[in-house]
Amino acid sequence: MIKRVEVNYRGIFQKSLGKYLGSDIVMIASRMGKVAFSNGRYSDSPERNGIPCKYFAFVAEDLSEEELEAECGAKLDIDEADVSVVVDDTMVKGVEPWGWHGVRPINEKVHEKGCLLVITRHQPEDLLKFIAKKPYPYRLATLEGDASLAGMWVFKDDLTRERVLGAIAAVDPGIISIEAVEAYLLDKTKDARRAGAAREAYEATLRRVRLVKPGEGINWSHPVPVLPKWHEFEDTGIAVPAVPRGFKLGPRGQGRNDRFKRGTTKTHRPVIRFDLCIECTLCWLECPDGCFDPTEDGLYDVNYEVCVGCHKCAEVCPEPECIVMVDELRFENDRSPWEHWVRDPQGYIRWAEEKKGKERVHFPVVTGTGREVREGTYVPPKLSGAETPA
Amino acid sequence: MKQTETDTAVLDQRLAAWDRKELLNGCQAVAQGVRLADVDVISAYPIRPYTEVMDALSKLIADGKLDAEYIIADSEHSQFEIVKHASSVGARAFAGSSGTGWMYGFEALVVTATDRLPPLFLVGNRALDDPGAFGVEHNDAMALRDMGWLLCWATTAQEALEHVLIGYRVAEDSRVRMPMALAMDGAFLTHSQHMVQVPTEEAVARFLPRYDLGPRRLHPDNPISIAPQVNEDWVMELRRQNWEAARRAKGVIVQAYQEFNEIFGERYATPFFSEFMTDDAETVLIGVGAVAMPARTAVRRLREQGRKVGYIGLRWFRPFPTEELRECLSRFRAVGVLDRNFAHGSPDCGGIVLHDVRSCLYPLASRPAVVNFIGGLGGRDISIADCTRMLEITGKAAERAGDEETVTWIGLRE
Repeated sequence: MIKRVEVNYRGIFQKSLGKYLGSDIVMIASRMGKVAFSNGRYSDSPERNGIPCKYFAFVAEDLSEEELEAECGAKLDIDEADVSVVVDDTMVKGVEPWGWHGVRPINEKVHEKGCLLVITRHQPEDLLKFIAKKPYPYRLATLEGDASLAGMWVFKDDLTRERVLGAIAAVDPGIISIEAVEAYLLDKTKDARRAGAAREAYEATLRRVRLVKPGEGINWSHPVPVLPKWHEFEDTGIAVPAVPRGFKLGPRGQGRNDRFKRGTTKTHRPVIRFDLCIECTLCWLECPDGCFDPTEDGLYDVNYEVCVGCHKCAEVCPEPECIVMVDELRFENDRSPWEHWVRDPQGYIRWAEEKKGKERVHFPVVTGTGREVREGTYVPPKLSGAETPA
Repeated sequence: MKQTETDTAVLDQRLAAWDRKELLNGCQAVAQGVRLADVDVISAYPIRPYTEVMDALSKLIADGKLDAEYIIADSEHSQFEIVKHASSVGARAFAGSSGTGWMYGFEALVVTATDRLPPLFLVGNRALDDPGAFGVEHNDAMALRDMGWLLCWATTAQEALEHVLIGYRVAEDSRVRMPMALAMDGAFLTHSQHMVQVPTEEAVARFLPRYDLGPRRLHPDNPISIAPQVNEDWVMELRRQNWEAARRAKGVIVQAYQEFNEIFGERYATPFFSEFMTDDAETVLIGVGAVAMPARTAVRRLREQGRKVGYIGLRWFRPFPTEELRECLSRFRAVGVLDRNFAHGSPDCGGIVLHDVRSCLYPLASRPAVVNFIGGLGGRDISIADCTRMLEITGKAAERAGDEETVTWIGLRE
């Protein structure tokens, strides 16, 4: 029997983390006398920042190395996973890998006895608000943590690698045992703290496995693209129809091609306090993906379907608290924030402040410092005329 | 057979030839081969999947494990020119590329062969754009087949490491002096991690002599002018010399594998291609590269059902092992040629390997039926089930030889 682990990670930022986890599983399983091997989904490999990608590890006890590779190594993707690890919880909203696959549910590959293991600070119930229903029961385990940059070349070692190994041992000891994880980490690093982190995560995860019932979750709204047969498309090479030239003011007013959305790329999204905007145009000018739509009142709406959460607008915005990056999991939809603001300015400001919460996430330029969380400040609404609250 | 003292000594020596096992992907395994070959000059320009080779090499240099000039070029063309020139001054040189990047440097590749210089190039096989595609397809490396190069494929990461050593050994031999392309399937081999045995530097030094160009070395103490313009009265003789070198290369290759086996253990039963379960086989599949994994597994499973099938992995494509393969394939009733490439507009619109295999069989009075499969283009996977199907189609071709479809596309949406 072959055990299959997939690690869902964010391209570039978590690339090394994904690969290291793959190699670690192979090394640990080999030390346990099993046959193992690891690869990545190659079409993911020309990664761009934040693109959802996958790394795989395969473990077997009763197969030769060649049989294992023939079964698993000659394929681009897996049919089912024993454990699907998610090292950035915002990917539970669906992953749109490179290419023409559409937005796929994060638990797509998890089989009936399998486990979806998410590194998150959210509750399992909150995650299930975004995860597709399955016709059979499966397990959802959560391990407390952030979307780690451990493994990136500017990494801050936060022991995520060790903790995930411990958590995998907890949800499926048939892949790697916690004893083997500890022994491996001790031998490799001579650092008891690392083996300890794995053990701690192992014990914590054992207490945080939840059975997801059949039908629990959401109806998946994203269609799966159907790839045409060779004689079903024009024989002039691949060409994607362009959008009409020109634009109009207002939400979705700029021509964007629906075939090139990359919304599942983001871990954070910009929340805009339109009342604080000084109309400096910088967010609109600097956005690398052209996500900001100028509106007739001189403001800039943002299209979350195409925003990849790069943080640039928030960095260039000169007004404190006007554009703040917020955890993508706090949002249920991609609707226009400007329309909300026009409809109900006070309600919008309350909504925006509630979403923003108290913490502001930054990624300092200095290498090796990881991410930084600061306290935000509350700026009272600046509403003109009759709209000013009493 | 009784083991003699000498045998034991040989075995001990072979055991000592291996240093350690490391978890390496195909690209990192090649980089280890380059380290062990003590390469002097590396020129790099990124393109996936080759990029990871240059990454691994720069890390080996940064870590102090390899002492080599590492020159980042402005394009593949410059990259290949740099190693060609390095090779001409007596430096053991390495470069590599993939797909369209490889094609962009082609002019430099062609002159490296006609200058009879022996650098080694890694081709991480990749589909030729457009549209932009990353998966494996063999047309990039196959484009060398008429250019006076040595061209060989590795099947595993282990073989990739070993063929860097074998490649330099053959290419630099004074009887050969041809550039060497070592090809490796993108993704399935370049980017999957395997446990690889790494040989010791001492054992490698016994196998791979120093690179010595003799009087052809460009040096201030040996001023020469390489590749001056010639007129119509020279080129045919130069081409004939090139042919002669390729012919001699076959003997050098055989000798290289023999000595490799003596130093490192019996790793290669045959030099030019590997045979798997072919002993009493009636139907065989012949393929190139990493597809050997699912193909051999399919063969093993069909054998369990009593089917007389086998697999042949073609390792060396240039020089083509004409006599050896002819003799081998003459034993079977039907041969299925699996091409991970496509020869546009060629006879039967088949693959490149098909044409060479069929041509090499032509002089036989009694030839096996030959059918062709086009599969795995642009990185499409070839599964165990696909290989089983190909063996079945091939087997049927033997029964009704003559009227079968020559070319079948595998894994196509049709």
